[in-house]
Amino acid sequence: MKQFKYIIVVAFLGIMGLSSCSGFLDMQPSNSGNASTAIATPADAEVAINGIMRAMSSSNYYGRNFLMYGDAKGGDLTIYSAGRGLDALYSFNHSATSGSYSGFWETGYYCIMQINNLLENIERLEGEGATGFSFYKGQALTLRGLIYFDLVRIYGLPYNYDKTSYGVPNITATLAADAQPTRATVEENYTQILSDLSAGMPLLAENKSPQNGYIGYYANIALQARVKLYMEDYDGALAAAEEIINDHKYKLYEPSEWVASWSKQYGSESIFELGIDTESDLGTSSLGFYLMRYGQKSGAQGWFLASDYYLNRLGEDAADVRWGVMDNDEYWVDNKIERKGACYKYSGSTDFAGDGKETYTAVNIKIIRLSEIYLIAAEAALHATTPDKGLAATYLNEIRKRAPQLAPATAATISDDMILDERSKELFCEGQRFFDMIRMNKTIEFNDDFQGVPVSKRDKTIDRTFGKIVLPISQSEINANPALKNEQNEAYK
Amino acid sequence: MFLGIICLLVGVGLMAQTSKISGIVLSENEKEPVIGASVLVKGTALGAVTDVDGNFTILNVPNAAKIIRVSFVGMQTAEVPIKPNMKVLLKSDSEMLDEVMVVAYGTAKKSSYAGSASLVKADAIKDLPTTSFENALNGKVAGLQITSSSGQAGSTASIRIRGNGSMNASNEPLYVVDGVPVVSGDVGQMSDYTYSTNNVMNSLNPEDIESISVLKDAAASSLYGSRAANGVILITTKKGKEGKPVISLKASIGFTPSWATDNYEPATVQQQVDMLYTVFHNYRTAGKGETDAQANSYALSKLNGKFNQHGYVFTTAGTGAYETVNIGEYDNSGRGGKYYDWDKAYFRTAVYQTYDLAVSGATPVTNYYTSLSYTKDEGRLKVNSFDRFSGRVNLSQKIGKFLEFGTNVNMARTSKSGYNDTRSTESNYFMQTRNLLWGLYWPTDYKTGEPWTARYGSYAQNGVYYDKEWENESVDTRISAVETLTLHLLKGLDVRSIFSYDNTTVKDHIYYSANHFNGSSTNGSVTEMRTTYEKLVSSTTANYNTTFGLHTIGALVGFEAEKNKTDYVRATGEGLPTSTLHTVSTAGTLSSAGYNWGNAMVSVLSKLDYNYDQRYYASASFRRDGSSRLSPDSRWGNFWSVAGAWRLSSEAFLKDNPLISDLRLRASYGVNGTLPTTNYGYINLMSYTSKYMGNPGGTITTLANNNLSWETSYSTNIGVDFGFFNQRLRGTIEYFNRDSKDLLQDVPISTVTGFSSTLQNIGQINNKGVEFEIGGDLIKNSDLLWTASVNATFLKSKVTKLYNKADIIWYDPTGGDTRAQFIYREGESTLALYGYEWAGVDKTNGKSVYYVNDPNDSKVGDFEYNGRGATYDYNNANYKIIGNAIPKVTGGFNTNLSYKGVDLGLNFIYKIGGKLYDGAYKDVADDGYYWERIRAKSYYENMWTPDNPNGSQPALSGLDLEDAKQYSTRQMHDASFLRLKSLSLGYTLPKVWTSKAMISSARVFFNASNLLTFSKYKEADPEVNQYGTRGWETPIGKTFVFGIDLKF
Repeated sequence: MKQFKYIIVVAFLGIMGLSSCSGFLDMQPSNSGNASTAIATPADAEVAINGIMRAMSSSNYYGRNFLMYGDAKGGDLTIYSAGRGLDALYSFNHSATSGSYSGFWETGYYCIMQINNLLENIERLEGEGATGFSFYKGQALTLRGLIYFDLVRIYGLPYNYDKTSYGVPNITATLAADAQPTRATVEENYTQILSDLSAGMPLLAENKSPQNGYIGYYANIALQARVKLYMEDYDGALAAAEEIINDHKYKLYEPSEWVASWSKQYGSESIFELGIDTESDLGTSSLGFYLMRYGQKSGAQGWFLASDYYLNRLGEDAADVRWGVMDNDEYWVDNKIERKGACYKYSGSTDFAGDGKETYTAVNIKIIRLSEIYLIAAEAALHATTPDKGLAATYLNEIRKRAPQLAPATAATISDDMILDERSKELFCEGQRFFDMIRMNKTIEFNDDFQGVPVSKRDKTIDRTFGKIVLPISQSEINANPALKNEQNEAYK
Repeated sequence: MFLGIICLLVGVGLMAQTSKISGIVLSENEKEPVIGASVLVKGTALGAVTDVDGNFTILNVPNAAKIIRVSFVGMQTAEVPIKPNMKVLLKSDSEMLDEVMVVAYGTAKKSSYAGSASLVKADAIKDLPTTSFENALNGKVAGLQITSSSGQAGSTASIRIRGNGSMNASNEPLYVVDGVPVVSGDVGQMSDYTYSTNNVMNSLNPEDIESISVLKDAAASSLYGSRAANGVILITTKKGKEGKPVISLKASIGFTPSWATDNYEPATVQQQVDMLYTVFHNYRTAGKGETDAQANSYALSKLNGKFNQHGYVFTTAGTGAYETVNIGEYDNSGRGGKYYDWDKAYFRTAVYQTYDLAVSGATPVTNYYTSLSYTKDEGRLKVNSFDRFSGRVNLSQKIGKFLEFGTNVNMARTSKSGYNDTRSTESNYFMQTRNLLWGLYWPTDYKTGEPWTARYGSYAQNGVYYDKEWENESVDTRISAVETLTLHLLKGLDVRSIFSYDNTTVKDHIYYSANHFNGSSTNGSVTEMRTTYEKLVSSTTANYNTTFGLHTIGALVGFEAEKNKTDYVRATGEGLPTSTLHTVSTAGTLSSAGYNWGNAMVSVLSKLDYNYDQRYYASASFRRDGSSRLSPDSRWGNFWSVAGAWRLSSEAFLKDNPLISDLRLRASYGVNGTLPTTNYGYINLMSYTSKYMGNPGGTITTLANNNLSWETSYSTNIGVDFGFFNQRLRGTIEYFNRDSKDLLQDVPISTVTGFSSTLQNIGQINNKGVEFEIGGDLIKNSDLLWTASVNATFLKSKVTKLYNKADIIWYDPTGGDTRAQFIYREGESTLALYGYEWAGVDKTNGKSVYYVNDPNDSKVGDFEYNGRGATYDYNNANYKIIGNAIPKVTGGFNTNLSYKGVDLGLNFIYKIGGKLYDGAYKDVADDGYYWERIRAKSYYENMWTPDNPNGSQPALSGLDLEDAKQYSTRQMHDASFLRLKSLSLGYTLPKVWTSKAMISSARVFFNASNLLTFSKYKEADPEVNQYGTRGWETPIGKTFVFGIDLKF
């Protein structure tokens, strides 16, 4: 058999390729694992918490848009020119099909799904006798409360305005792909939020030390204070705020420290701060860029700047330390007349110090600061079952002293408006103003006349009777979940 | 394997007694051996088939036998007397019938092939200035639609064979080069950064291609199983020819001085200024109720506010809304009366060059082809260029009588630097010159003379400056080696083993200096990426052919395994110490990523062919595939086909018909599939890519479907091949019907679940149609040959079934700019455009009017317009299907004339019917935009004004209208066009001249691409992408090439 040697050669070549065996068809990616087995130990739970924190730092949420939402709509900001980006927030140019900003909804529920999955896994593991998960469980519950609080504020009417109106679907378990949940009421959402926060509280109580970059015990309490204030449960809000104040784990900045605090991570006021590093840095689309002066850095479009009203308010005291994060804006560029309307809280300082990382745009987001807790305490004391104006003034003055030339409040002079003005000055560009204004049933006036930017979708002034104070449910969500069509917010029907 | 054994047994059973005859069968003119000719001893059932050398032997021939009958497809049957060592010469029946095609796992004579396949030879694609072969096929094959959405050098074309058979998975065909499936399409990661594509097929030098077979029906393609539903393109590279070594040299140079058509030509600077003035004026009068005087003063202040900084000042004589604005010089800027020409700054006459050197030859035992080539292709954009070095060695060696050994090695290095090719205000030059860059903007600041670095008011960036502050380059290095061993084990039985290794490494480099707007926040950044695609394919097939009597049988069995692995590594450095070093390691901050992914497949395959007397043909194929992309429970699938053909022209009743020289009927039916594009679609993945503050973070990223399966296509093909007047006129008409079932679809789900979609096997699509190719020799004599051919494809592509009958709204994915909205709806086209029905412009006020299209009552509306309910506000109107982007007919026609040494070829492509959706015009014809943008000339000329109440475009408005952006018929056009795709003229120098210079042949040629275009749609190029849409991709140009082709 002369051909035999050839058969060997052919067989050899065949074998070269076929040296495959069992497992040839089992391929796995090298950067992902099978989700069903991914959470087995407390260390895995920590990894999942990290994933959630990172998802929350998306530009759709705390990374940028959520804070811009709270400020662009509140009258303290204005725009110089239309079309630069996110100006639909300012002009209320929203519809189900365009400018729906569905990223809030999508990112919110993406995070909630991760949380629900983590909680389900912890429950399963604890059922099997595993331990060591309770702190992560407390974090997860608190985060879920926070996210629902944010979602219901975006999509639902204020609790103290119409709590029977539609809130957001209340989901506390992972869903199958074909689930088509409908909206709960605002009240049901708040019930869930309080339930999550109170369930998380005792789990977090095992370690009350500051959790830099994560939810800790006091972040939970601070959220309770905030939520209860929105619900006009003033006694509850005051109790929560005072627990934080009286436990002294956090400390207010001295007026002299205030400006520098923006160039540091995890200052003594930071009850909950979201970490932003190189990986989550949004660069030229970061909050820092959205608020800095036009053209100051290449790519700075001068998206938003302070309104005349805000500058007048802060200008009540030229020595107010909070001018320290403000600098000249585009108006100054064009007219050479000083106008410190650009905000540098998210650049570290007016000269771009950052907060200690490689780039000045990777700046942590301070979600809850002790200042706010004092202001909550002041407002709650003023409206508590037994109002205490003196106490309210005391709490307010702790913040008000940042404007040294203004007379401190007294039991005789303190008012809601004084507290609200202080909130505006202190929490500028921290995503609070709009929610404060509609919560307190104020009229919001927009500085449209500043540069004469045409706005056709809303009037120059609005209040909470304006239908577009809530966002639409996006058309793509309605398409996939038709039951929501009848539950669309009125202004977008 | 058992099929082969059966055949063997049948063959053995036929052996009998007496004497032995033998001989050789050669073609009459070329004296080449005829392989596979059937030799029959007349009056007996004895016969044989000639082997690779044309030899045959028949044992046990009764002494009474006197004559043998030798037949072969495409050859005239010969009857010759038996004598020792016979030499039989066969005359060619016709040229066209004679073609040998490469088909799945082997070759076939076109005339005996029962499947549907088209063959394109090297001749048809020569002379063209194309870096990849795809574009050269345009208009040459019925049923094949080729589109390039971009005119950038090095970009990826898209190919559709007989329609769209998938929604979510790929619609691209499988590419097979020299018997081995290869990596195709866009490679590397640069498209994430610059939105330009990098076509890996560019690594294959078109000059190395001998022929391309396009397999269209199931009978042709089912042997490729789960990857073949979209058809298969088989590419065969060149071989040597027996005789003296041939050295071939080819050089050509081409120029692209202009685009092929107008493209959104902008209005003049004066007209632009007037329009912006009107917008601001209207904002104050219509929006705020101010007087003309107030509005005039406001509008002028806005114009001055915007353009004083560029050195211009504006005044008007009156205060009306439509004043002609005087554009004056501001601040002695020196710019009065002068405008900057951005077109000139950004575009150039592109130069294309290619040089090829090939040496080939063959002896009876050795065959070789080697080539070396260099191509440089510039885009018209100054920042876009492509070049390629490639080399190839194809070698085959016979070792003894039984073994043949072949090696094909290809090495190529391509380098591409591109530019943003999607709707980007920052960096899409094309969009900038049409929509963003005023002639009033200059690249320098008139006050300082320094470069203008701020973003212009229109959001454009100054490319003249920034182009020096960044760079990008993708370098693909591809090495592929295909080893083939063929063992002629027994007479008629060949065993072939192919082992191939294909490695493509893509190096992507992108750098931004600290001065660049993308590098300013990071103080300069550089990113290096390496993506390595490794593909291993091993296949072993056994092929048996035999003839007994008038029966010919061929059988094939085989085994194939394939593994694909992609490795990706990225390193990014930010904070660069110096602008001179663009390397990662110098940077202050480093970040990196690296991971891999892949898939594998194992298959068994078999095929059986039978024919009786070259009159009746039958064939069947079967393949079983197992894929790693599906869960272990559902990963195996079966794919098969059956086909039959009947040559009527060989029947007695037609045999001597003077009119009909060829007539054949074919039919086939079969099943093949398409795999999901995701590698791990069946697993719920926890992905660890979301780090938080330097710590690992994990999130669930997919909601998976464990039952995921492939899409399955059921195809029917019925064809007639005909030839008249001794093949002077010949052609093919085919009917095809393809039902694609279990389609993969990202079903949109409520995002409350945490995800926006989940992948499911749902839905069905049907593609059916008729295609024909007819060609003929109009004049044929010794000096003059004039041939012409035309092809056409009539296609209907419909969605036949959807999950829960629910419509799916989707957007053209090209460029990620959602330029066009489509809907999948049962019973409607697979490219059904979805939007508002725009009724035109109200003559009385210049507003856009929309038909409400209330599904229950056509009269519902704010008012009646042409007897139908209408509205000014699109929000009150309903979306409906507004058009079908699939043309009624597409195709091409080609004509070639050769007279003595001169050859002239014309290649037209055409499209009739169907709609084109223009996703770019909304930007340049915006009636309600107050932003600092420029508009098209066609908008200016056609906009409604009180003086032009018949204007077809709405009046300018200062209110923030969003009408132009809406998906509506306003941006939809008739897609029909006719284009002279290429014209080529060549002259072969007379041999008497060239032989003195030892040159065996010399040809000079000229080629012009995209020379003429006729269409109803005038705004831009009507040759649009596979979705029938146009966006801001770089258009294609008119290219003129001069070249010379020498053979020694």
